[in-house]
Amino acid sequence: MVADEPTFARLMVAAQDGDKASANVLLTEVGVWLERYFRRRVPPHQTDDLVQEVLIAFYTKRATWDPKRPFLPWLAAIARYRWVDHLRKVYKHDAKELMEDDAVEDSEEEVVMARVSLDRLFVQIPEKQAEVIEMVKIGGLSIREAAEKTGQSESSVKVNIHRGLKKLATLVEEVE
Amino acid sequence: MTMEKQANREDLIASLTQELEPVSRIKPRDGAFLIGFATLVAGIACIAIFEFWSGMITGEASAFYWITNLLLLVLGAASTSALISSALPKVGARGSAPFWSAAMLGVVPIAALITITALEANHDHAAHVQSVWNDAATWYWECAAYGSMAGFLVAVAAVLFLRRGAPVSLERAGWLTGLASGSLGALAYNITCPLDTIAHVGIWHTAPVLIWAFAARIAVPPLIRW
Repeated sequence: MVADEPTFARLMVAAQDGDKASANVLLTEVGVWLERYFRRRVPPHQTDDLVQEVLIAFYTKRATWDPKRPFLPWLAAIARYRWVDHLRKVYKHDAKELMEDDAVEDSEEEVVMARVSLDRLFVQIPEKQAEVIEMVKIGGLSIREAAEKTGQSESSVKVNIHRGLKKLATLVEEVE
Repeated sequence: MTMEKQANREDLIASLTQELEPVSRIKPRDGAFLIGFATLVAGIACIAIFEFWSGMITGEASAFYWITNLLLLVLGAASTSALISSALPKVGARGSAPFWSAAMLGVVPIAALITITALEANHDHAAHVQSVWNDAATWYWECAAYGSMAGFLVAVAAVLFLRRGAPVSLERAGWLTGLASGSLGALAYNITCPLDTIAHVGIWHTAPVLIWAFAARIAVPPLIRW
C-alpha cells in the first residue's frame, strides 16, 4: 500500500529536519509512488532507472517543499520534470525505443493506454507531423520510405519529425 | 556525497539516508528579497553614476514618464512574483499575469512609434511630428543600453534563486527572468534620465524588457537545469 498525503507530509517534515529513519521510510514510499506514476509513462525496463533519478532529484531539492503546501503535487511536479527530461533524452538518442513500448509483453492494457495517450497528443499537432512521426518513430520506416509514402520530400519529413517531437514534448510538459 | 544511481534502489536509499543533513526550507520571501535587493543596488549604482533626476520630485516629469515607469514597476512585480513561484515545484494552473503585464507595457512603444511615424503632412500635428523626428531625445538609444546593464544585476539574482530552487519549466523561468530583469533594470536606470518625451521613454526606456526577455529565454535555461 502506498502512503497517503498526511503520512508523506509528516515524513517529509521530519526528513527536512534531518531525521534519518523517517527519510528512509519516506524514500522507500516515494519510490513505490514513483513506480506507479511511471508505469504508464515509460517502458518497464526504464522505470527503475527513472525512479532512481527522481529519488536523487527529490533528495537534492528537498528544501524546496513548503510544509504549508500539499506534498504529492510537489512530488508529481518533480517526477514530471524528470520524465520530460527523460523523454527528451530518449527522443534525442533513440526515439524508436521510447515509442515502441515494450509493455507489449507484459500487459495489453498498457499498450492500449499508451496508444490512447499518443493519439490524444497526435491530434494536437499538424497532421503532416503526426503522420511522419507515426511512420518513422513508431512504424520503423526509414526517412526515405516515409517520404515516398507521404509525398513529402526527405528534408520535409526530417523537419516535420523534429518539429512534431518538439511540440509533443511541450504538450507533455504542459499536462497538469 | 553519493549522488549517483546504484545497482538497486535499496542501496541508493541507504546511501542517501546515511548522508542526510537537516535543510533550511527555501521560502518565496528569500527570492523576493534577493531580487528586490539587486534592484535596489542597481538603482543606487545608476544614481551614483548618472545622478538622480530631480524632475521627478519637482513635478517636471511628464505623464508619459510616470506611466512608463509605473507600468515597468507593475511588470517587474508580476514577473518577480511568478518567477519566485516557478522556482518551487507545483502542479496546477500557471498564471499569465506577467505576460499580460508585458503586453500592457507594449502599448507604450507602439504609441511612441505612431507618434514618430505619423507623418500627416496636412494635419495640425505636422509641426509637432517634425519636432519629434528632429528631437535628439527621440534617438538617444543609450538609455536602453544602460537600463539593460542595470538589468544584469537583477538577472544574476534571479538565476541564483532559481538555481537554489527547482524550476520545473525552464523556458518559462527563462522568460520570467528576462521580463523581471528588463523591467526592474530599466526602472533602476530610468529614475536618473531627464528625457521624458513619449518617443524617448516609449522606446528606449522599455527596450531593455524586450532585449532581456529574449536574451534570458536563450541563456537562462542551461544555467538553471537540474
